[in-house]
Amino acid sequence: MDTVLSSATPSATDVNSFLSAAEKEALKAATFQRLHPQIYLERFLEEKIRPDGRSIADDENEDTHAWRNVEVNVGSITTTSGSALVRLGNTTVVCGVKAEICEPELDNSDEGFLVPNVDLPALCSPKFKTGPPTEEAQVLSERLNEVLGNGMIPLSSLCIYPGKSAWVLYVDATVINYDGNVFDAALLAMVCALKNVSLPHAEFNPELNRTICTRPKSDSSKPARKLIIEEDLVPLSFSFGVFAGSYLLPDPTASEESLLDTTISIILNTRARILALSQLGTGVDKSEAPGQGVADIPHTREADTLARCISLAKKRQAVIMKKVYDT
Amino acid sequence: MRSQTYHDRANVNIEVAIAAFSASERRKRGRGDKRILELSQTLKSTFEPVIQTSLYPRSQIDIYIQVLQQDGGLLQACVNATTLALANAGIPMYDFVCAVTGGVHSTSPLLDLTLLEENDLPNVTVAVMPRSGKITLVSMETRLHVDRFEEIFRLAGEAGTVIHREMRRAVKDRTEQLVASMQSVGRPSTGADVGDNEY
Repeated sequence: MDTVLSSATPSATDVNSFLSAAEKEALKAATFQRLHPQIYLERFLEEKIRPDGRSIADDENEDTHAWRNVEVNVGSITTTSGSALVRLGNTTVVCGVKAEICEPELDNSDEGFLVPNVDLPALCSPKFKTGPPTEEAQVLSERLNEVLGNGMIPLSSLCIYPGKSAWVLYVDATVINYDGNVFDAALLAMVCALKNVSLPHAEFNPELNRTICTRPKSDSSKPARKLIIEEDLVPLSFSFGVFAGSYLLPDPTASEESLLDTTISIILNTRARILALSQLGTGVDKSEAPGQGVADIPHTREADTLARCISLAKKRQAVIMKKVYDT
Repeated sequence: MRSQTYHDRANVNIEVAIAAFSASERRKRGRGDKRILELSQTLKSTFEPVIQTSLYPRSQIDIYIQVLQQDGGLLQACVNATTLALANAGIPMYDFVCAVTGGVHSTSPLLDLTLLEENDLPNVTVAVMPRSGKITLVSMETRLHVDRFEEIFRLAGEAGTVIHREMRRAVKDRTEQLVASMQSVGRPSTGADVGDNEY
């Protein structure tokens, strides 16, 4: 690689002679990352730092510089009932909520519907091609469906007239830029979009068998209303990855995500109580040398990792709460 | 796609995706939707002659457009966004392509129509290459009296040059930002400006 870069023969490689020394170094580093991604990441983590400059969450260093910056912007899409744009570092998700009227199910005649959906178009990352939703998109939609369907929006509050008319909320999220940790970003976008929703006043007229909605602000006795939200069940997700069984990485980027052997998601409510928890993989392997006592027993290893993740998530939650509730 | 490889130039592939929540009625449009395919095809024939495809033989340039909200001027916005995205990506083009919609209400000409205006009034979308003044796209799906057409057409062409000024300013600002951040390479970032180190 060195000979190619410093070659003086007039050819396509001549463009490298226009690069400064710093640019040549950066090109070598980028090439190395492509060819040996695992070793590239290891080299950074050994110095207790991640490729994008963030810290890792080791024992001495539990501060919040391990997480990427979060930006939330609500209400910018006026064709929706509620919308939100969330940026988690470079990962960008747009979510729009559309409300429609439908007939409730026979079994649950006093409940409306909540239909979340995530779209991972080819636009957001070179790893997605055009075509039907990939497995990743479907799994993401399903996980979000489970988390949101937990009662954050009581479905009975979406009923207009039992057995005849109810609201159905379509929560459509589109990932614009994929740089890892899409689950956290998409969930935050959906939660913020739902909080931003404003439903017009709706009345079912049994004689005409139709639902009449009143345009907001046209009649002050029939104002638009915000959704009824069960504050204790509002989910906020914090995801971690474990690399090479040793390093705990909060909020992984796309390049880190492909190298992780464990992913952990902690879902907290607004009062930092755990709503849901998932760990896929064996967690951090603390015992460097076997026979070191407590750390050697597998279930304490995992409990240790989970406990650390939970405490980190709780610290981060305080920061996110300010972002979400101040918008 | 392998079957569309050209030995002497790049293949330009444009795909438009319209979010379900972008219009006042929620509608999930698949990729095979005729209107979307027509839009993609129009954009492809607008940009194929403008991009210097002969510089990239046996390659493909994918352009993905995501529509978040619609309030008229969809084709116009797609053309302008594509021009800027190609400039941002560093893909060589012969010129910018700037598009504007024009319409007429009784005798008064209008520019840049909203959805409400587009549904009621005759309107035309015109895309122009500002440096040469050549028109690369004219699209009209309504009926407009031939006496009115010339005026609207000419006005829309001129408006294209105004858009061009704004586009140039945006590209220039972005380039200045990149140069500034390249000069500060070596400082740690918090992840938010990682994307600035583009090579």
